[in-house]
Amino acid sequence: MEAKNSADVIVIGAGIIGCAISYYLRKRGKNVIVLEGSDNIGNGGSSRNGGGVRQSGRDPRELPLAMYGIKNLWPGLSEELGVNCEYHKEGNLRLGKTPEHLKILQGLTDRAVACGLDVKMIDAAEVKKINPHLSDEVIGASWCPTDGHANPLVTTLAFYKKAREMGVRFITGEKVERLRKVKGRLREVYTKDNVYEGEYVVVAAGYESRDILATVGVDVPMHKELVECLVTEAEPHMFNQMLGTAEADFYGHQSDHGSFVFGGMSGLELNNKNTGPKNSPSNAAITAPCICRGIMKYFPALEDAKIVRTWAGYLDICQDGVPVLGFVDEVPGLVVACAFSGHGFGIGPAVGEQMAMLICEGKTSVDISGLQYGRFKAKI
Amino acid sequence: MKRYEVIIVGAGPSGLSAAIEAAKRGLKVVVFDENEKPGGQLFKQIHKFFGSKEHHAKIRGFKIGEELLQEADALGVEVILNATVVGLYPDKEVNVKIGDQIHHYKGDTVIIATGASENMVTFPGWTLPGVIGAGAAQTMMNLHGIQPGKKILMLGSGNVGLVVSFQLLQAGCEVVAIVDALPRVGGYGVHASKVARCGVPFYLSHTIKEVQGKDKVTGVTIHQIDERFMPIAGTEKHFEVDTVCMAVGLSPMSQLLKMAGCAMEDNPKRGGQVPLVNEYGETSVSGIFAAGDVSGIEEASSAMIEGKMAGVCVAEYLGYIDEDTKMTELKAFEKDLDSLRQGMFAPKNRGKKIEKTDEGIDISTNLLEKGYVADDEIERFPGVTHKKGVHPVIECTQNIPCNPCQDACPKKCISTGDNITYLPFVKDDVECINCGMCVASCSGQAIFLVDEDCGDGTATVTLPYEFLPLPQEGDKGYGLSRKGEKICEATVVSVKSVKAFDHTNLLTMRVPKEYAMKARFFKKAEV
Amino acid sequence: MNTVVDRSKDIGEFVPQPDDDMLICRCEEITKGEIRKAVHDGMWTLTEIRRYLRTGMGLCQGQTCSRLVKGIVARELGVSPAELEPATSRSPMRPVEMKVFGSEA
Repeated sequence: MEAKNSADVIVIGAGIIGCAISYYLRKRGKNVIVLEGSDNIGNGGSSRNGGGVRQSGRDPRELPLAMYGIKNLWPGLSEELGVNCEYHKEGNLRLGKTPEHLKILQGLTDRAVACGLDVKMIDAAEVKKINPHLSDEVIGASWCPTDGHANPLVTTLAFYKKAREMGVRFITGEKVERLRKVKGRLREVYTKDNVYEGEYVVVAAGYESRDILATVGVDVPMHKELVECLVTEAEPHMFNQMLGTAEADFYGHQSDHGSFVFGGMSGLELNNKNTGPKNSPSNAAITAPCICRGIMKYFPALEDAKIVRTWAGYLDICQDGVPVLGFVDEVPGLVVACAFSGHGFGIGPAVGEQMAMLICEGKTSVDISGLQYGRFKAKI
Repeated sequence: MKRYEVIIVGAGPSGLSAAIEAAKRGLKVVVFDENEKPGGQLFKQIHKFFGSKEHHAKIRGFKIGEELLQEADALGVEVILNATVVGLYPDKEVNVKIGDQIHHYKGDTVIIATGASENMVTFPGWTLPGVIGAGAAQTMMNLHGIQPGKKILMLGSGNVGLVVSFQLLQAGCEVVAIVDALPRVGGYGVHASKVARCGVPFYLSHTIKEVQGKDKVTGVTIHQIDERFMPIAGTEKHFEVDTVCMAVGLSPMSQLLKMAGCAMEDNPKRGGQVPLVNEYGETSVSGIFAAGDVSGIEEASSAMIEGKMAGVCVAEYLGYIDEDTKMTELKAFEKDLDSLRQGMFAPKNRGKKIEKTDEGIDISTNLLEKGYVADDEIERFPGVTHKKGVHPVIECTQNIPCNPCQDACPKKCISTGDNITYLPFVKDDVECINCGMCVASCSGQAIFLVDEDCGDGTATVTLPYEFLPLPQEGDKGYGLSRKGEKICEATVVSVKSVKAFDHTNLLTMRVPKEYAMKARFFKKAEV
Repeated sequence: MNTVVDRSKDIGEFVPQPDDDMLICRCEEITKGEIRKAVHDGMWTLTEIRRYLRTGMGLCQGQTCSRLVKGIVARELGVSPAELEPATSRSPMRPVEMKVFGSEA
């Protein structure tokens, strides 16, 4: 084993999670090597999501991470990383058009309030006051004023840039084939042509984590779904809130650049297939039209906005809808951070910091006990 | 969901050719094109094509387009215009924007024939209005009847740069210079010569230093570059122009293929990102084919054959013809394609420095460096011979796959020998009847009828003339050299325009006899 | 097949050039200097450059500038342009109004 392939920590996956973990580890003085299987940094969900930095609508088990990040990390992130991440903390509106919608929203709101989140139901007039561009058919919404959004592409690359500047070694196109335990502890990472060695190995490789973890007998119950987003040409500035709907017809925001970024689903996501090029899953022919219709139901004013691009990305969906984070008791030296289930971007910085803390100090400052591996049991 | 046996994207030369071959064999074909007119680039091509009879030689591009359309129409091909294919999805499904709706179509096979887009190069000022692509200039002139500018500098001496320069002159624009970073003219010598003899100077090993202007182009400065493409100080030349035209190559528009997951490669020889295809255009995705510039930049003539091949392939794919028939037909097309890919400019010779013709004659260095054959070079080429009385002088000095001249002469006095790329020569034993068919047939405008000594101290030179207004019999003016310089006085003896000449007018001028082999163009005296 | 690239490899310092203020991506108004700087920030693939700077993300979707950006990045990295994988192609090939995209025949 050549010394150049050793580090304190080997991180597998250079998405927002892997990049953030490596940055916060480096900040704590660790030597880190990050291995990315594709040719690009942030090639998976990190560059394909809608940019939400939300607390509302989250499962109570991951809500503390979201709240912690929004309070402590996001506000100073652009300055800290030296790149404008286009973070806006100007609220999230989850819209409803029918009494049934309001019932769904009320349920989400009640659960979040119980966890101490500042979120409430508002009526049509209040919605209009916050966002006058919405359709008159909107009769109410849940409103979380401390939610927001950021540019996921840039944020991921900003973590990478800063970590790289500070000395983290990133290696792209280096697909991990297997992990190896040495004398009872996970130490080695094998790629086609190389072996990397570290005191800790972090697996943050999205859905690919499943195959990698399987090589040391760890299985995270997750599946993947292919979902899509689209972006319009730059439009005059209209609003800064993050938007969603009770029925999840679409979600999205207007970026600093002026373009609108919206994501959504056709309903066939479980079975959408990918015949696209390397590093880039294919779109389905019927999804973007469906998202457009969803948007126009709430935003008739956008009907003339031109769509310039659509794209697809995989969600790594955990059986119970929240990520798997932290040490795995059975495999010392292993840290897992995967199965973010489509809402990993907003908690990315917090996960990065907390995982670094876990590795360096043995424990996290935010309660992640509900997110550990080993929580999965049969239902009866 | 509508389904077709063949969906063709692009109604240019390759797409239409593919449609015709597929429809001929009984397939249900639809062709989508985002433009309001079909034909792709063909409809901008007002010049006569090179090649052999089978390859539409000496026919003007737009006529070829019309012929293809008529044939496709007669065969029941549906050509849907103003129809933008916005995506190629799994299972060979396309989304097509037609009017204000998205239409879904599935194809049992798909042929992508989307062509290419123009490249740009950057220099300070390249984003100013007035810096345009040569293709855009061609569209303005030949489709919309608009002059792109009054005074124009052309960057790029490939065939596109040369052909468009000539068309700019035809449109009444002034072309102040043709500039190219390479040390040699990139396009056919005959195309260069017809521009040079109009007086357009060539600056090889030069590039644009900057374009001046505040809101639009007002001038351009070029400078010479060394063999490492670094500027040489003190070599700047300034031109006052209102337009800079770029003809610096094309890039395949292969995005749909990439989107569909076809294996791609970056191949500079093919012009950029192209699908990996077999010799018949079959991509890595079963049932998806590529034809024409999208799979490698070439000429319209080869694009048409590639289209035909794809048409035959889809016919076999869907069981309309058997494998043996397919291979027999493909082999024949392959032979055609091979005959087009011969000569000095063949894809295999791209980038090679060729110093001698196939006949062993030294290539004209002046032609490569200045755009015209020098007076002391022209005599060594086989088409340039001397005879008593009127006889053809064929200033064709490079091996290109083209031979309409051979069939043009009713007396069969011109031959290119055994090979279509050989330089044409005049047979000694046949008498020229001064009909002019050879002059009009030469797509390179390189044939002249010369009577070197009319007995009164004068000579006559008959030359191809494609400018308006046409000079009249008796008009006085100047004989221009191959370089475009006024070298003698000249009088128009006659101007012939007959249908068989297909818009190439034959202008005969009388010049002092010592200029018989030097004067190659006529310029009317300013009154 | 992906290619193994160590992003810590030394590509030298960013050296300003006189034409760094020249626009390359016209749709998003990105200059040559910004592209060159991004390479030194670690953006070594055309996809990363595009995500970092928005080159080729405008109305023309990189039809004009992708080749130019490629040349600049390749020169900065000291590799041949052909070695750089072009960014992904995405539907729609031409900008389409939301009301049109959402109206399926």
